[in-house]
Amino acid sequence: MKSNKFITGVYWDDKDLLTGIKEIQDKGISIFDVRTPFPVHGLDDVLKIKRSRLPRLGFIAGALGGVLAFYFQMWVFTQSWPINFGGKPYLSVPSFIPVTFELAVLFAAISLVFGFLIRSGIGPGAPVIIFDERTTDDAFLVAIQVNDESEVSNITEVLSSAGAEEVKQVEPSKTEQDV
Amino acid sequence: MYVSPLREPLVTGAKSYKDVTDDITKPMEGKPGKLWYVGLATALLALGFGGFAIYVTVWEGIGSWGLNRTIGWGWGITNFVWWVGIGHAGTFISAILLLFRQKWRTSINRSAEAMTIFAVMCAGLFPLLHMGRLPLGFFVFPYPNTRDLWVNFNSPLLWDVFAISTYFTVSLLFWYMGLIPDIASIRDRLKDGIRKQIYTVLSFGWTGSARHWSRHESMSLILAGLAAPLVLSVHSIVSMDFATSVIPGWHTTIFPPYFVAGAVFSGFAMVLTLMIITRKALNLENYITVGHVESMNKVIIATGSIVGIAYLTELFMAWYSGVVYERYAFVNRAFGPYWWAYWIMMTCNVITPQLFWFKKIRRNLAATFVISIFVNIGMWFERFVIIVTSLHRDFLPSSWAMYSPTWVEVGVYIGTFGLFFTMFFLFIRFFPVIAISEIKSVLKSSGENFIKKGGRNEK
Amino acid sequence: MAAAVVGFVLTLLGYFTGGVDGHRFWANILLNGFMVIGLTLGAGFFVAVHLIAESGWQTSIQRIAEAIGSNIWLGAIMIVPILLGAHSLYHWTHTEHLDHILQMKQGYLNMPFFILRMFIYLAGWIFLFHNIRKVSLMSDVNPDLKLFNRLRTFSGIFIVFFAITSSTSAWDWLMSIDAHWFSTLYGWYTFIGMFVNSIAVIIIFLVLLQKMGYMNHVNDEHLHDLGKYLFGFSIFWAYLWVSQYLLIWYANIPEETTYYVTRIKGFETLFYVNVIVCFVAPFFALMARGTKRKTTWLFYTAIIVFLGHWVDLYLAIMPGAVGAEHSHIGLFEIGLSVLYVAIFAFFVFKALTKGSLVPENHPYFKESFDYENIK
Repeated sequence: MKSNKFITGVYWDDKDLLTGIKEIQDKGISIFDVRTPFPVHGLDDVLKIKRSRLPRLGFIAGALGGVLAFYFQMWVFTQSWPINFGGKPYLSVPSFIPVTFELAVLFAAISLVFGFLIRSGIGPGAPVIIFDERTTDDAFLVAIQVNDESEVSNITEVLSSAGAEEVKQVEPSKTEQDV
Repeated sequence: MYVSPLREPLVTGAKSYKDVTDDITKPMEGKPGKLWYVGLATALLALGFGGFAIYVTVWEGIGSWGLNRTIGWGWGITNFVWWVGIGHAGTFISAILLLFRQKWRTSINRSAEAMTIFAVMCAGLFPLLHMGRLPLGFFVFPYPNTRDLWVNFNSPLLWDVFAISTYFTVSLLFWYMGLIPDIASIRDRLKDGIRKQIYTVLSFGWTGSARHWSRHESMSLILAGLAAPLVLSVHSIVSMDFATSVIPGWHTTIFPPYFVAGAVFSGFAMVLTLMIITRKALNLENYITVGHVESMNKVIIATGSIVGIAYLTELFMAWYSGVVYERYAFVNRAFGPYWWAYWIMMTCNVITPQLFWFKKIRRNLAATFVISIFVNIGMWFERFVIIVTSLHRDFLPSSWAMYSPTWVEVGVYIGTFGLFFTMFFLFIRFFPVIAISEIKSVLKSSGENFIKKGGRNEK
Repeated sequence: MAAAVVGFVLTLLGYFTGGVDGHRFWANILLNGFMVIGLTLGAGFFVAVHLIAESGWQTSIQRIAEAIGSNIWLGAIMIVPILLGAHSLYHWTHTEHLDHILQMKQGYLNMPFFILRMFIYLAGWIFLFHNIRKVSLMSDVNPDLKLFNRLRTFSGIFIVFFAITSSTSAWDWLMSIDAHWFSTLYGWYTFIGMFVNSIAVIIIFLVLLQKMGYMNHVNDEHLHDLGKYLFGFSIFWAYLWVSQYLLIWYANIPEETTYYVTRIKGFETLFYVNVIVCFVAPFFALMARGTKRKTTWLFYTAIIVFLGHWVDLYLAIMPGAVGAEHSHIGLFEIGLSVLYVAIFAFFVFKALTKGSLVPENHPYFKESFDYENIK
């Protein structure tokens, strides 16, 4: 069981945040999480977040949706119950294009959204760990997990020297109400 | 990120990040104004009237509409196409403009997407009602029914079922995913209470973690990439309801792209009409600036001109084709019994938007408001002209007929306005009208005067 | 230059070794002439539309598009000769034996009006784009913003003029080969074809210039954007292709289906190759993020697309002008195209030397180097 104790540093600007994070990392302290009110460019590189594999998931699901849709239409009109519609061939490929396309998009979109939710561990009723309520407003926050009481003073010092304007110890609980 | 000083700021007034959150969430806090209640009440009244018209339609059957054997599609399908068209601006703004990196999109995308969703809901009602018996709506889904038959995948009407339901689903997902961070902002502003609990659930536990943001951006981009062709496909497929037939005036290959341009045209007009009022009512003039209005007007003039060129192309090709029926269909449109509808369409869609070539008019809110309403009227008449005037002269002159709507059809149309505005009023009350986090992300590069106000408040 | 010589020799060889009658000769002149003017116009449109939309990123490659666009006069010289071969190309010119339908169309399809229209298109395009190019080059020495606003004015006029004339010229030069046939979408379809093709050619020139050691300011983000353009508009081209085909196939009216029937019956392989090369190939080649950012990958995809649109034009012209029995892709076709492309490339390179490759005073130029595509 890891400790539930964090030290957080708040920045008021995304540029300061980026330089601050670099300094913290240089001191060999690993960052638990960074919270920002909007996507900060360059943060991925600094935190070494790997490129998401969601696009690949979307492609696979989309291809699957398209193939399924086409195959299904083909099966219905050539195997299951062939009907002559206005003299068109049973396997009228151009007619199948719209539905095939729509289902490919539908599959891809749904899988992307659900892939995103599942990978990020969020969804309706998901537990919220909030370090500081202002991170969805204007605060850029760095959270560092404390594994050992002796680290506290060191981390606090590093954070302050790295330009964090407010440094605090927090023990967020996982319930939705107490934050 | 460097931005040329030549560009107009997208957010005026010296704003900090905090100001953005405060300004945009303000209309949601406190008691709503009188205007809001009056608006909602009117909308509900219209919705009630529409509900009654729907009741009459279902109880008495489609016979209560003004349709006849020659003209089987009237107001119902006109309204359907019109609403679907209006539903094209939102996803166009958030998907295609995202791909083209148009930053001014950030101020209007959220509300435009909401309008998309509401408009598609209104649109979906019409085909359903047109079936006369509501349970028949179940028959459009591909399951082997009691006679072991499947649906007809050759039918453009069925393509519509897939296109519109996909469009609705994807737009809804896209819109909601974008909304999550903003709902989290509201959640974190609220003190305890039932509202906080509701927003906590709605926020899906969003915290703004860097990993989530990274994934969120990646997903948004791909969704935009998917939604862009989807927008094109939806109105293309709607146009195929007409164009795959052999009716003169309906069967023409330019229909798909021309319908799409028309849809974006009318959608932007609707967004403009509503946003010009909303920005005033909710004090958002700093976020939806005259510059935004001008940009939207540019889109209007571009799509309006495309539509105009398509009209002329159709007209020319009708002559050039040498097909007597085609030629007659177009002469009849302009000079037949429905000439007035044709000329309203031409005036509102092709002529008045050309006024936007003048910068003064483009940046004039009152003029924009009036012209945007003209466009809405014109685009409604475009669908009316296409549907009714093409149908009313049959190949057999003995079945030539005229059409006028009954109060029931008008009532259903008014009812959809009620539905649309009820949803819209609820939306502006309970959700942020502008994408808060997206505004923040362009604030530094495109704000008029960015001020860092950090560290000033509590503690 | 060497390519031009090779092309010329091949052309002569092809011409004398066999079977090139008047129809085939003039059809090829039209094909290549239209291809070149299409490329120049597409690039011209690219410049104009970006100027009017005030885009920032493209300023880094604007000069390439400008240089291609400034050769509209060359395209004009290449397309005008079709007037001499009109009798072989357009059977509506045989006024002595026209059927009823063509007689009805004589108000539009007659030689004097055809020549007048051609003159108007060419004069308008050359005049307008000449001004865009001139003002753009002037801005290299004079950073006055007024110049930029003048550029935008000319771009606006160019776009409006081109919006109408791109359709009408496509009807005149290509659609009227099959004089009985008509399709309202034809103009837009042809326009998108030339636009995609010119994007492919812009990429090709960009990579060639980089190989020669120029255009080093162009970075991965720019390549990525060009890749997205090629990818996106290839899809858009396919969308219009399907729209036209699907509607004609579905309604199944003989007057309209004849167009596709002659193509599928006489040119079956090419008919499908066209779609695969113009849509399927770039779609899969450029779908991933990485491939759009790799120079070589992008370069070869652009070449494939370029060849694909050659086939597209071949299919638009040959079935009507030459007929299935007499047309095939021989030495003559290849040689003439190589010759035309070589001349075109020569003049583009020449135009590139006339100004700086970097429009430094473009007010949005700096923006072009400070942005990043979302991952």
